[in-house]
Amino acid sequence: MSRPKLPALTCLLLLCPTLGAAATTPSAPRPIVLVIHGGAGVIDPSKMSPAKEASYRQGLLAALDAGYEVLERDGTSLDAVTAAVRIMEDDPQFNAGRGAVLNHEGDAELDAAIMDGNGPHAGAVAGVRHVKNPIELARLVMEKSPHVLLVAGGAEEFALEQGVVLVPRSYFRVESRVRELEEEQRAADAERKGAPSTAVPAAAAANSMGTVGAVALDRAGNLAAATSTGGLTNKMQGRVGDSPLIGAGTYANNESCAVSGTGQGEYYIRGVIAYDICALVLYRRLSLERAVHEVIHEKLQRAGGEGGVIALDPAGNIAMDFNSIGMFRGARDSRGRREVAMYRNAKP
Amino acid sequence: MYAIAIHGGAGAVPRATLSAERERTYCSGLQAALDSGYALLERGGSSLDAVAAAVRILEDDPSFNAGHGAALTRDGAAELDAAVMDGRQMRAGAVASVRHVRNPIDLARRVMEKSRHVLLVGAGAEEFALEEKFVLVPNHYFRTAERLEQLQSEQRGERVSDLVPPAPQGTVGAVARDQHGNLAAATSTGGMTNKRPGRVGDSPIIGAGTYAKNGVCAVSATGHGEYFIRTVAAHHVCAAVEYRGLSLEQAVHEMLHQILRSLGGDGGLIAVDAHGRIVMQFSTEGMFRGARDSDGRREIAIY
Repeated sequence: MSRPKLPALTCLLLLCPTLGAAATTPSAPRPIVLVIHGGAGVIDPSKMSPAKEASYRQGLLAALDAGYEVLERDGTSLDAVTAAVRIMEDDPQFNAGRGAVLNHEGDAELDAAIMDGNGPHAGAVAGVRHVKNPIELARLVMEKSPHVLLVAGGAEEFALEQGVVLVPRSYFRVESRVRELEEEQRAADAERKGAPSTAVPAAAAANSMGTVGAVALDRAGNLAAATSTGGLTNKMQGRVGDSPLIGAGTYANNESCAVSGTGQGEYYIRGVIAYDICALVLYRRLSLERAVHEVIHEKLQRAGGEGGVIALDPAGNIAMDFNSIGMFRGARDSRGRREVAMYRNAKP
Repeated sequence: MYAIAIHGGAGAVPRATLSAERERTYCSGLQAALDSGYALLERGGSSLDAVAAAVRILEDDPSFNAGHGAALTRDGAAELDAAVMDGRQMRAGAVASVRHVRNPIDLARRVMEKSRHVLLVGAGAEEFALEEKFVLVPNHYFRTAERLEQLQSEQRGERVSDLVPPAPQGTVGAVARDQHGNLAAATSTGGMTNKRPGRVGDSPIIGAGTYAKNGVCAVSATGHGEYFIRTVAAHHVCAAVEYRGLSLEQAVHEMLHQILRSLGGDGGLIAVDAHGRIVMQFSTEGMFRGARDSDGRREIAIY
């Protein structure tokens, strides 16, 4: 128990009637749930070709199903979020792993974090440039080191000690990201020279906020969260966003909720967004949906920040919410839900 | 009421190993930092300026594990982390794993004020420092004979004392409330002795080792950083005050003596609430600390 027992228990009983019911009727199986996101931002239906849209849906479904199958086989939520995030890291259309956005120098600089709601335990890496699947290195930090966060060269040294095979920086670079970087740098130049900045390219703006993440609830009732990202296009070398920071972009605790965020990371860090949602659930006894709504549509909005989160509570309640134009997302659970979406109010 | 509190690390401080002379050195270092921060508040200065000034003095003082005299990594280098947060606008700036910045707290503040970002790490943070006209110093500037000795004994497998000299868990920090009611927090550290290069603790992580929010509280932590990260300790204290109506003292006590203890972590916290009330608590043997406020409180303590 990492939280005072009484309020936590009261909260669970108040918020989670289904969990309470499951505990008393052993025949009703506990829910299993996987929720993913592939980034929030300017996802404009008018600019999305049918082929592109289909390709995003396919990528999201592949990650969703891979993670869900882990849960279905009675695997842990930790394994499920790792599997889902790894697939999106390998998919070049998402801003994580291969196909991550490029920094000012033209390199991918990757951040990732994972948190086990049972413990809680956490591991994270930031500023790595040669690790194919940063989420797996974050997990190694959690499981094989006494630390939570390792950065840059030191994180890669640890990777080598753990037998992780490093890849050249060129592995991450894909043509579309090179173009985005060039467009972004042209726009930044124009802005510096005082020219009207007509063209902050929509594509770059959208992808700047792309990040991938997953939250899961397994049969044993454990929550987990994972997030992985390349950060911002044209970012300053060494810039770390919210994704690898426990409490900001990633948080999980069996007593409250699991959250993975995507958006303008600096706002998420200052607001300690992921933890704040769980604190509202635990201490204000808000429903997960209301806590997410308050943090995204009131606090983040008021601060001028943009983005979204996916969240999950111990009863299996799902929240996927954003104040940006769209968010790539998907959810699947043992009650038969299986959907992916990208626009607001989109029906699956 | 305006008020400032500072800490210079928490850990095992065996009275026997701390000579009277050494104790005086620590206390006069703490006093200098406390008074310089307080003088700013007294003149109507901002809490942000006060915490930055106090932390800078502790960074420059080789007795404390931050800046000059920071603990060394297993490679014998200093790798420094720092963060500052302004509770008025909820702005924050932080740096981690910098090796050539004399006062990391100044760079953290510059990140807050002159970049679009909150956290910069490693060489990228130093590139930003150069762009901002910071003069970099060689890494050996930070290394003292005592820290080197401490690293060597740690590497020989000897159990070293936590704080005096050597001090693997030492960290410095400050929290303040100014005459306008604005809160601020700042923390700076060299981390753990013999740490793995690239390891980042709680100090530069907003919500973990450093947090400030006007109307609620400002917090700076010291101790076993990994536990403070996992419990989102500094933000947790403020959330307990804001959402559950706990007093600052109750919130700090719960974090240290229930939550961290149940996980096996220890350390200390200093905090100030919206009214300028100061709380300083620790679950270790001692914590170097000091507090001063406009009601006349003025104290320095170790045990």
